[in-house]
Amino acid sequence: MSFLRRALAIAAKDLRSEIRSKESINASVAFALVILFLFSLAFDPTSDEVREIAGGLLWLVFAFAGTLILNRSFARELVNDCLDALLASPVSGAQLYLGKVIANFVILMVVEALSMPVFSIFYNVHWKDAQTIWIFVGVMLLGTWGLTVIGTLFSAMTVNLRLRELMLPMLVYPMMIPALMGAITLSALLVAGEPLGADNQIWFRLLVAFDVIFTLLSLAFVETVLVG
Amino acid sequence: MDRNFEYMFYGFTAAWLIVIIYVIWIALRERRLRDELDRVKRMLEDQEREAKK
Amino acid sequence: MRTKLIILLSVLAGGLLAWNLHTIFLKVPDEASQGAVFRVFYFHFPAAVTSFSCFFVAMFSGLVYLRTRNLRYDAAAAAINEVAFTFALITLITGMIWGRIIWGIWWAWDPRITSYFICLLMYFGYFMMRRAIDEPHRRARLSAVLSVLASVDIVIVWKSIEWFRTQHPGPVLEIRGGGGMAPGMEAPLFWNVLAFLMLETALILVRMRQQSIQSEIESLRRYAHAF
Repeated sequence: MSFLRRALAIAAKDLRSEIRSKESINASVAFALVILFLFSLAFDPTSDEVREIAGGLLWLVFAFAGTLILNRSFARELVNDCLDALLASPVSGAQLYLGKVIANFVILMVVEALSMPVFSIFYNVHWKDAQTIWIFVGVMLLGTWGLTVIGTLFSAMTVNLRLRELMLPMLVYPMMIPALMGAITLSALLVAGEPLGADNQIWFRLLVAFDVIFTLLSLAFVETVLVG
Repeated sequence: MDRNFEYMFYGFTAAWLIVIIYVIWIALRERRLRDELDRVKRMLEDQEREAKK
Repeated sequence: MRTKLIILLSVLAGGLLAWNLHTIFLKVPDEASQGAVFRVFYFHFPAAVTSFSCFFVAMFSGLVYLRTRNLRYDAAAAAINEVAFTFALITLITGMIWGRIIWGIWWAWDPRITSYFICLLMYFGYFMMRRAIDEPHRRARLSAVLSVLASVDIVIVWKSIEWFRTQHPGPVLEIRGGGGMAPGMEAPLFWNVLAFLMLETALILVRMRQQSIQSEIESLRRYAHAF
């Protein structure tokens, strides 16, 4: 039980720091809105074809904006040797990692929640009914967890590298592809108002499997990555 | 159908070319590494000779 | 001793490949619908199979490093991954050329070729990361973890793209050249797999020797600069 408590303590520290400075959230939301706008230049938002892919575009926006948050996640600990202090503390690497994953998850969910109204307006989304919205929130939760789990691990891996800001996106995007695919397929259907058939259940299962597998793998390896 | 000989030729050429380029790259790297090893060994010998004086 | 092994393997591989080429070009008949181009498959399939399995072997080598902290396993992992990367590139390019004939287009978003492309991207990141780290043990540690993640992910990516593409069918046909091949056509395939394995082992041994030279240089430099 103390595992979770310590992880939550780390998460609370990160969230408190973020609420006070708002650096990641501001940058991320601004970036998301700019990209949403840029996509609307490339694809005519009102046409029917775009309605089909709008859900997919949304997840690209989340992935790009999320990288900003993930990059900051461990990088902010480099100042004043905070990372060394954290690693030397009784908090284990896995607890530190889980805490940061939870914090990044919350921040990214906030960014997504702020982007959704803008997205709905820009792309003329008609939400079919309340159930569709709830399922969409579910997909957002699953997909965002997948992104943050992988992204935070790679943030830990690249924290001391040269060219950190370049290496993180380059390493992380191929890894995220299964989660992105699941989220994109489901979102595209939900946003377009089409029914989720039985053969789309597999994407839910993929998202859950991805989340479980990579959470376990990351927790197993994060100690190696951080400490040695 | 001309039995698609042209593309078969492209295919085999591409495969062999990649292997050959890779082997050449390895060979060049080997030469560069050996030169550097000799250079570092010589530098070390010079240093020890200087230290003995 | 090791040099002799490398030379032996290379000669055997070369001989086998040459003999196979003779068989492929002269003895095996043309396939019904594709004409002669399907013979590219005799390189495409062995390259695909060997490179794919090499990535997993490298993953295990990385795991052994994490257990033993012996840098030789990291050198082996890096060498195996590099050779596997080259042969994955061969797989991709021969697949594209073959696809040009079968599907009429260079790229068809077929599950296998797409997952291979993503695999190449992941391992390109692996090599970039290795170049960015100077300290050998740290490089080995992070490489091993990345190797595990990439190998696990490539399986998941493959499955997910397969499901994705069954829902969004494109001009895709299964490259199931294996099913329904006439008996005389299969043998060169397996001989080629063997030949590729030998060739790859020879290349890996050469690369590993280069890694040890590299680490010798680094340690000599450290010794030299210590004064």
